[in-house]
Amino acid sequence: MKNFTLLQPDSFQAAVEQLPSSHDDPARSRVMAGGQDLLGELKDHLIEPDTLVDLKGVPGMDALDVGHGDAKFGALVTMAELERSGEVQSRFPILAEAAGSVASPQIRTRATLGGNLCQRPRCWYYRNEHTVCLKKGGTECFSFAGMSKYNAIFGGGPSYIVHPSDMAPALVALDATVVVRGSAAEWKMPLADFFTLPGEGDVTRENLLGGDEVVTGVEVPDHTGWRSTYVKFRERGTFDWALSAVALALRVDGGRIAEARLVLGGVAPKPWRCRSTEGLLVGRELNEETFQAAAEDALSGAQALEHNAYKIPLTKGLIIKALRKLA
Amino acid sequence: MSTLQESPPSPAPAGKKWIRITQVVDGHDVEEWMLVDDVEGIAWPARESLRVLNTDIRRVDAPEKVTGRAVYAHDVRLPGMLYGRLLLCPYPKASVSLDLAPALEVEGVEGAIELDLGGNPTGYLGQPVAAVAASTPEAAEDGIRAIRAVYEEQDWVVTFEQAIAEDAPQVSSRGNIVRPGEDGDLGEARAALEQCDAVVEATYTLPVQHHVCLETHGMVVDYRGGDEALLYASTQGTFIPGREAAQHLDLAPSKVSTTVQYMGGGFGSKFGIGAEGRAACLLAVQLGRPIHLLLTRSDEFLMAGNRSGSHQELVGGATADGRFVSLIQRISKLGGIGGGSHPSGRPYIYEPEKHHVSNQSVMTHTDSSRAMRAPGHPQASFAIESMVDELAYAIEMDPLEFRLRNLNDPFYERQLDRAAREIGWYDHRYRTKPGPIDREKATGIGFAVATWGGGGRPACQVEVRIDPDGSVVTSVGSQDLGTGTRTYVAAITAEEFGLEVAAVTARIGSTDYGNANASGGSTTTSSLAPAVKDAARNARLKFLGRLAESWGVDAENLAIEAGGEVVDRGGDRRVRWRDACAELGATALVANGEWQRDLAGNGIHGAQAARVEVDTLTGELRLVKMVGVHDCGLPLNRRALKSQINGGMIESLSYALFEERVIDPYLGVQLTADLDNYKVAMTGDLPEIEALIDDGDDRNQVIGIAEGAIIPGQSAIANAIYNACGVRLRSLPFTPGKILEGLEALRS
Repeated sequence: MKNFTLLQPDSFQAAVEQLPSSHDDPARSRVMAGGQDLLGELKDHLIEPDTLVDLKGVPGMDALDVGHGDAKFGALVTMAELERSGEVQSRFPILAEAAGSVASPQIRTRATLGGNLCQRPRCWYYRNEHTVCLKKGGTECFSFAGMSKYNAIFGGGPSYIVHPSDMAPALVALDATVVVRGSAAEWKMPLADFFTLPGEGDVTRENLLGGDEVVTGVEVPDHTGWRSTYVKFRERGTFDWALSAVALALRVDGGRIAEARLVLGGVAPKPWRCRSTEGLLVGRELNEETFQAAAEDALSGAQALEHNAYKIPLTKGLIIKALRKLA
Repeated sequence: MSTLQESPPSPAPAGKKWIRITQVVDGHDVEEWMLVDDVEGIAWPARESLRVLNTDIRRVDAPEKVTGRAVYAHDVRLPGMLYGRLLLCPYPKASVSLDLAPALEVEGVEGAIELDLGGNPTGYLGQPVAAVAASTPEAAEDGIRAIRAVYEEQDWVVTFEQAIAEDAPQVSSRGNIVRPGEDGDLGEARAALEQCDAVVEATYTLPVQHHVCLETHGMVVDYRGGDEALLYASTQGTFIPGREAAQHLDLAPSKVSTTVQYMGGGFGSKFGIGAEGRAACLLAVQLGRPIHLLLTRSDEFLMAGNRSGSHQELVGGATADGRFVSLIQRISKLGGIGGGSHPSGRPYIYEPEKHHVSNQSVMTHTDSSRAMRAPGHPQASFAIESMVDELAYAIEMDPLEFRLRNLNDPFYERQLDRAAREIGWYDHRYRTKPGPIDREKATGIGFAVATWGGGGRPACQVEVRIDPDGSVVTSVGSQDLGTGTRTYVAAITAEEFGLEVAAVTARIGSTDYGNANASGGSTTTSSLAPAVKDAARNARLKFLGRLAESWGVDAENLAIEAGGEVVDRGGDRRVRWRDACAELGATALVANGEWQRDLAGNGIHGAQAARVEVDTLTGELRLVKMVGVHDCGLPLNRRALKSQINGGMIESLSYALFEERVIDPYLGVQLTADLDNYKVAMTGDLPEIEALIDDGDDRNQVIGIAEGAIIPGQSAIANAIYNACGVRLRSLPFTPGKILEGLEALRS
């Protein structure tokens, strides 16, 4: 990898001053938290910044506030903390499950929530140094006519990457809010709106984060009375990204579904929320007929590439499994 | 394995006899007849009298390995050493022009060389074209990236379909389809199909698999000018790199020593020094400093060899009573710019009444295949075992029974029966047709068998030295690939002297010791163990002779008992080992040994069974259990042997489930050049594995086991998937996508 200067500021302001004001100068500096994705990008020469700004010395960003009511998760909370926290397990099981499904135990002890949300795509064209794909400023998404086994069935075009995060679909299913801070101000928005599709703007990016901005945390409303689960399907038993994943949160009242959020991972360039299916679920009983209908509805708009049609029946199966699990 | 004439080429002259031995040529077994003296040879003790051998022996070097004290070639650090790095051509074929000057300007870079392409374009994706040496690995990488390389891409082919297309760019001057061969009579095979009750026509394909050596290819060349050099090599043959490196160092072969104390896996891919070794030598000559050149993981995937892919079209026929009547098989080996592997000649293991087998190599502009554990056998196994299975179900016969009828061999009968019992086949509900798919979890069982040579040959020169202080050292140049060679060298010696394994020092892995063959074709143990036994026996006899002389007794009456106590049965003298050794006086006793034909056998079998669970909703394939039953004559170290069987099964399940080289057919870019995208099985993917030694094999000879265990696993898994849910997968790897596709087809 290219040599860089490592800065270890001890305040947020000092950190953010080192960041470029726009994405026009991405070579200048990058923030680093756990470094689990960033170091891979550096080693593969996908990015070559002059400066890395280590956030780990910034106070307050590792707070985990999940005791009661609405919860707050600092961006520096690690996957291992989320996976192991008894309060997360009992109050937001979907988050503990998603965190526990990430990579390997070693990586989970380093990898952070902010990094998990902001990690770059795993597409093997993007990650290969010898291709200049759309994501890297090129003119073509090679997966479209190429080896598309791992690519998107929803929301694709002009790029067909899938968003690699496990935490993102789980948090969107809990209606989470992302907290972003720059040099000037702090802003919040629904996490679902934070992620962008390739057709919605800058195709080289996956979210709305500005060049000098940092995700500082995530807020999750109280979900007392809800059931939730994260069902991830990966090729390998461990240490693998999702071929498809289902994040499901339900509030059941009197044997019928009162509220539902269904978000898919691993199948679209952003966490894929299935709003029509959520509408279909509301008012229904939790039975096999409901599950089948939901699975069919959720995948009705899917468009397969040459090598990823299997993701359609696979995702249907996962939706059924997730619903059965919460029934 | 090449087939050998059943009888010797000529009658043996008086006092001589013909024996069959196995030669290894580039990792392939080649059998031949050899004329040797017809004398009564030495024998291994009867199994019941063995004290050390045929037990579970701990590896003598385990503490070094698990603590990281063991020094591999990768770990070698020498004063003044530079790190080498290669520049690989990113196109399948290109003419190249290089400007090395910018590399030399990079801080830390000490030298850069252009590799000789003979004025030709590159021939395969990832061919190395230049090398640099620098004071740190990072500087070496910066140096490589600073080289100004201009590539003029030329037309290329990287897939089977591209290679066989009309007007395809030619890989070799002989074309893209080369080395045709055939066996059997096509007319007879076709006619025989007419009489069959069931005929199955199917195409089976296997992707290119990588060796994925934990230690990548390469070596450290310690040459600082002068007349001598020392190599720290990661090699399967201690005596190979020195001879090759000598040419590039311009030294006499005898002046180049090699040490291979520990090596991190070769699996058939580490015989020659390769382009990386040549570059290391050239840099060492140019700079007069030691060069550490071990490939990066990505380079390893591109240029360090692979198991050839395979495309096989089969037509098989059977009668309703379970006779495998006819087989027509067309094999295309996909070995890149190499030939690829498939056992030549007759059908693999099974012997249909009529057959016609034709084979050819289909070349592409990709890295050459190399030998990889049991070259060609896993590919052959997958096609034939799938066909056998398909025929059995087509005539609604238990596939185990169909195998037994057509194998007709007591080894396979015993081993298949054992595997069937351990995996639960006789209690399994669906044995002549697959299970229904209206269950969410469908479980199934499948079988396959293996064959391998594993025989030895005369190659090893072993020395056993007994010192007056009681220490015993056995030395031979042989390398230990991680299979436990060092341990049995000590154990065989210990057995001979009634000592504990720890009391014997095994010195191996150096050209300073006696010659040894390269580890290919599972021939190491069968070639080395007899020579160790011979040397130990000679040392024992010589030792007792010396004692007898010194004590003035008859050597015939002296024996060594457990604990190393020397006993004179003619009198009442009992002397402890150390005290007996002290009588050697000032000089150590040295004895030598060579290969003894009676101590080594050849020809192994094996049967494996897999139990799988298919999730019919998601296509998830879960391996529940695998059983392997293998023979190898006399087991030397049961623990190491089970470890070999275990490892073979893990490699084959990884092949079955995950491994596949993927090259974009339009861009010519290898998408699986790292361990993220080239997936291998991890601990979480492993089922319960039962590695069983077939003790019904009472041959009192040693035979290599390693490769037999890697052959049939993926075939058994494919057959288990079919048995579970009726989805016949004819293409590796068995991904959830392929299973889902099969399930969808069954439902519609």
